[in-house]
Amino acid sequence: MQTIYTDVLVVGAGLAGERAAIEAAEAGFSAICLSLVPSRRSHSSAAMGGMQAAMGNCAKGEGDCPDVHFADTVKGSDWGCDQEVARMFADRAPIEMRQLAYWGVPWGRVVPGKGTYYKGGKLYDKEEKEENRGLINSRDFGGTAKWRTCYVSDGTGHSVLYTIDNVCAKLGVEVHDKTESISLIHDGVTCFGAVARCLRTGELRVYLAKATVIATGGFGRIYPGTTNAVICDGGGHITALNTGVVPMGNMEAVQFHPTGIVPTEILVTEGCRGDGGTLLDVNEERFMHVYEPEKQELASRDVVARWMTHHIRQGKGVKSPYGDHLWLDIRHLGEKHITGKLREVYEICTSFLGVDPIHQLIPVRPTHHYSMGGVRTNKDGKAYGLSGLFSVGEASCWDMHGFNRLGGNSLAETVVAGGIVGKKIAEFLQGAEVTFNSSVIDAEVKKQQERIQNVISCKAGTENVFKVRTAMQDALFKGANIFRTKEGLEECVATLQDTLARARKVGLKSNGKGVNPELSAALKIEGQVKMALMLSVGALNRTESRGSHNREDYPARNDRDWLTRTLAYWKNENDDMPTLAYEAATEIFHIPPGDRGYGKSEIIKADTKAEEKG
Amino acid sequence: MARLLKFNIFRYNPQDPESTPHMESFVLEETDSMTLFIVLNRIREEQDPSLQFDFCCRAGICGSCGMVINGRPGLACHTKTKDLPDEITLLPLPVYQLVGDLSVDTGSWFRELYDTVESWIHTSKAFDPTAQEERMEDSMAEAIYELDRCIECGCCVAACGTARMRPDFLGAAGINKVGRFLIDPRDERTERDYFEIIGNDMGIFGCMGLLACEDVCPKHMPLQNQLGFLRRKMGITALKSFFKK
Amino acid sequence: MSVPLTANHKSLQSHRFDGLLDWAQMLSGAGLILFMWAHMLLVGSVVLSPGIMNAIAEFFENTGMAQVGGPLIFLLFLAHFALAARKIPFRLEAQGTIWEHAKLLHHTDTWLWVIQAVTAMIILIMGSIHMWAVLSDLPISAAKAAKVLQEHSGWFLFYLALTPLVHVHLGIGLYRIAIKWGFAGRAERAALKRVVTLIVLVSVGISVLALIRFWFMAV
Ligand SMILES: Cc1cc2nc3c(=O)[nH]c(=O)nc-3n(C[C@H](O)[C@H](O)[C@H](O)COP(=O)(O)OP(=O)(O)OC[C@H]3O[C@@H](n4cnc5c(N)ncnc54)[C@H](O)[C@@H]3O)c2cc1C
Ligand code: HEM
Ligand code: HEM
Ligand code: SF4
Ligand code: F3S
Ligand code: FES
Repeated sequence: MQTIYTDVLVVGAGLAGERAAIEAAEAGFSAICLSLVPSRRSHSSAAMGGMQAAMGNCAKGEGDCPDVHFADTVKGSDWGCDQEVARMFADRAPIEMRQLAYWGVPWGRVVPGKGTYYKGGKLYDKEEKEENRGLINSRDFGGTAKWRTCYVSDGTGHSVLYTIDNVCAKLGVEVHDKTESISLIHDGVTCFGAVARCLRTGELRVYLAKATVIATGGFGRIYPGTTNAVICDGGGHITALNTGVVPMGNMEAVQFHPTGIVPTEILVTEGCRGDGGTLLDVNEERFMHVYEPEKQELASRDVVARWMTHHIRQGKGVKSPYGDHLWLDIRHLGEKHITGKLREVYEICTSFLGVDPIHQLIPVRPTHHYSMGGVRTNKDGKAYGLSGLFSVGEASCWDMHGFNRLGGNSLAETVVAGGIVGKKIAEFLQGAEVTFNSSVIDAEVKKQQERIQNVISCKAGTENVFKVRTAMQDALFKGANIFRTKEGLEECVATLQDTLARARKVGLKSNGKGVNPELSAALKIEGQVKMALMLSVGALNRTESRGSHNREDYPARNDRDWLTRTLAYWKNENDDMPTLAYEAATEIFHIPPGDRGYGKSEIIKADTKAEEKG
Repeated sequence: MARLLKFNIFRYNPQDPESTPHMESFVLEETDSMTLFIVLNRIREEQDPSLQFDFCCRAGICGSCGMVINGRPGLACHTKTKDLPDEITLLPLPVYQLVGDLSVDTGSWFRELYDTVESWIHTSKAFDPTAQEERMEDSMAEAIYELDRCIECGCCVAACGTARMRPDFLGAAGINKVGRFLIDPRDERTERDYFEIIGNDMGIFGCMGLLACEDVCPKHMPLQNQLGFLRRKMGITALKSFFKK
Repeated sequence: MSVPLTANHKSLQSHRFDGLLDWAQMLSGAGLILFMWAHMLLVGSVVLSPGIMNAIAEFFENTGMAQVGGPLIFLLFLAHFALAARKIPFRLEAQGTIWEHAKLLHHTDTWLWVIQAVTAMIILIMGSIHMWAVLSDLPISAAKAAKVLQEHSGWFLFYLALTPLVHVHLGIGLYRIAIKWGFAGRAERAALKRVVTLIVLVSVGISVLALIRFWFMAV
């Protein structure tokens, strides 16, 4: 068996992982990133919109500063975030954008002169100042007071990831792609690295490191429909939760987007509705105006997504081989508008659906989009529970997003947190002396080898991994979706427990030789069901509505009892349920909990008398 | 009644001594808006769970799913069965090391490319975190992005006859990568420096103008224009360095 | 079934002369194009009248251009062969690869290159024979040419075959120079293709007419 030593092992070569690795490499440490796919194919490359940073260069961003960005972020999180972290983030973001410019990102720049823009379907004028010519420009995004989103045309994530990967190549940060981390090596106190499976040969490899970083991105694939890439399957989270000592934070905080296309669940922008597109049901009739007479299709993301789901549940969905969906209608906007301002949408529809949105309806439904929760870390990115283990990016719960993240804030988080946490890792390494305990390593390798053998030989059973996976996804889709109830979640948890039992009996149909994809799926199915349980049990317990977590039976935000963060542990491998604990959402309040200023919701204030704890 | 589609798929698992390269057929009933992404996943889940292939974003932006579809390299996630005949042949991309079935190793190939062309900004300046960013015209930024759009799917290389005959040829994607830095004002390399990289038969002078790269690129990168531009530029540098010597 | 050939660009040694050789290849090709057009006018002028052809030939003869120019063209011809042959796969394996590749790809421009390489080899042999025949029997005259053709129909067929091969190779070469050096960009490509096709058709037309004229000329 090949054993590879390095100072820092970063599991994940997306923006967050590579940015952290750069910081360590610049401090003189050796760094290796693992990735399921070539680093540039990581899902960060799919982000088109942009990243938020208070540059304040453009006319509509004038007067912007980290304070305003911070306030927007806290409100967006519905006061669920760690305010100290959000503060660090907002302060650091502009510097990070400039660093990216220095490294080669071709940011959109300010062009002086008069111009126009649309808002709410109306045309407005603006004028960019000559003195700002050529500085980094920003565009408008939801939930922000100013235009603050730095962008590179419609390929921000792509361009930034390519640039960061170039810097990695320059600094000699190794990327071992087609390599999947399947477990962490640890003794319950310290993390020593990971056991990984080579996706070129199927062989196991041991990576030993003084610091290990989980930067594996989101885990949307535990849902049946998601805008996430097929590799966003939670593999990294599973290695952490399997240690039994590292908790997952706020797994119930899941963001849904109203318009994912069916069947491939690719995202089409909110701009469709912003520009006047409507939602239709099976009878090709509008319905949003019935539910939301005032804002109609243009109510906030979570509200629209909630009503769409409701409408489908009423049997008004359009049946298709890929499940029920609704229609998005932009035909009335006309060809010029669609091939002009909505070109991206036009291209997605024509190349993926074979639908011409100028003459045809676009099949859409609310779709899982982002995971606020993940490996819980402190503000330095250190994971709770194990020394030498860090986490960064969407995989982590560093916690600047709380219960709802703002558009443009997560791509920015990857590089800002990557920079901050990377520095902390370098500091940690400066003093680190690690002795690798060979019996711990051998035991972990043996355990993984046995696990693989057992699945191949169908020792525990012959459950089909794809069917189990579908059962898990369907349970979450039904019970832990956009809006949640006690009954729904209880049923979901019950189904998932049954699914967990099945997951433990998975055996392969194929021979399992080499890079067998069935084996890859089988190795993580049990962990995925555990994550699904953490998510649904957390949601069941949280008897309030906050941000994206909507309980129909508890519609109020309850600051009295639930200004907290859920920590979910899987203490013993053979447990059937996670163990939950809670901590304060934030130690320091720069902004006390209050009204967000949008999305009407009842608030139970922190200082009201407690009658019964939900 | 929907069409029955027959897929002839290249099968070979190099890690299995019993496996030999062969074609295997699968039949599926066509559904609405079916793409090859849906097809291959259904085959894996319903018929043969050992079938290897690569998808990631499944939205035509990450470049994972390049394969040879009825003779032409293209993105599988991007390909609708509606546009294909009843019988569809899928082969792995040539040029790249085969991992198994339809999966190839583009990662190693491109990583080597980054080192060869040193695909990063070469500058003597240090980053100053307290300073305002250096200014750049928006039109320049857009021109750079136009060349930065390549998703490294490898289709252009797989479709290029030169690349098939000369294993050391950088391919359109590789040559274009140099072009991206050549126009970037932040990169201080001179034309001579770029000439060292692509001013030879591994680079721009190896290209025979077959233009399959231009015709298969799923991102419609301006490869023809770019190759022409760089050949002129490097051709002139070749003359200059010959006469100056 | 074979596992596809794989590639790697391991080390990149500096090949300083590749650029110059590419220039030379292009210029030799361009030179041959110009020569072939001039040649076409010389031989084609017989269509109008054998007298014109004789006059032109005489001019070359008297100025000594035929005696010196002829062998020079022959050298250019060989030089172009030597330069361009760098690109032709002489290994059987590579030939198989490119052939398989072209068949699978269904791509016009790739086929055009295959045609260019195949015509090149034939032209090399036939062109050499032809030049040897003409240059070893100067001076050139319409009557002499007609005599040879009418007496040996083999020569007639020889030229009938060589003419289209040369002009097709030439046309593709012209197209490729424009593409490779960026004289025609993406926007001009389709138009360029049409123009070149037209040039090839007209050239072959003129040449075949000339051959027919020789055939029916009273000797
Ligand atoms: C369609 C879409 C559009 C978006 N648009 C925006 C936007 O406009 N603005 C914005 O702010 N945010 C956006 N987001 C969110 C944002 O893109 C992501 O949150 C962010 O890119 C995550 O980056 P990351 O580095 O944490 O993880 P990723 O980029 O997902 O990288 C994860 C890495 O981990 C590796 N990995 C995973 N599991 C393993 C394993 N077991 N072993 C080894 N390696 C592993 C992967 O190969 C990959 O390299 C969007 C998200 C989606 C889905
Ligand atoms: C009258 C005769 C000929 C003419 C007018 C002619 C013309 C041309 C031209 C203009 C080109 C394009 C050059 C370039 O792309 O740089 C070319 C290419 C080529 N020629 Fe010729 N040629 C002739 C004879 C030959 C012969 C005898 C050979 C013998 C081997 C040959 C082999 C080739 C090859 C292989 C190419 C392609 C090179 C590449 O793609 O890079 N040609 N020719
Ligand atoms: C040294 C240069 C050359 C001279 C002086 C020359 C001369 C001639 C003459 C006199 C003819 C008329 C027929 C005959 O006399 O047999 C002829 C025909 C022809 N030559 Fe050449 N030639 C030369 C080089 C070439 C080359 C390099 C090619 C191409 C490879 C070529 C291709 C042809 C063809 C195809 C014909 C057929 C007639 C036609 O074009 O209609 N010649 N040439
Ligand atoms: S240039 Fe086009 S075909 Fe080539 S790798 Fe890039 S995107 Fe793919
Ligand atoms: S196909 Fe190949 S030969 Fe040149 S024009 Fe494109 S790189
Ligand atoms: S899967 Fe990303 S391009 Fe096809």
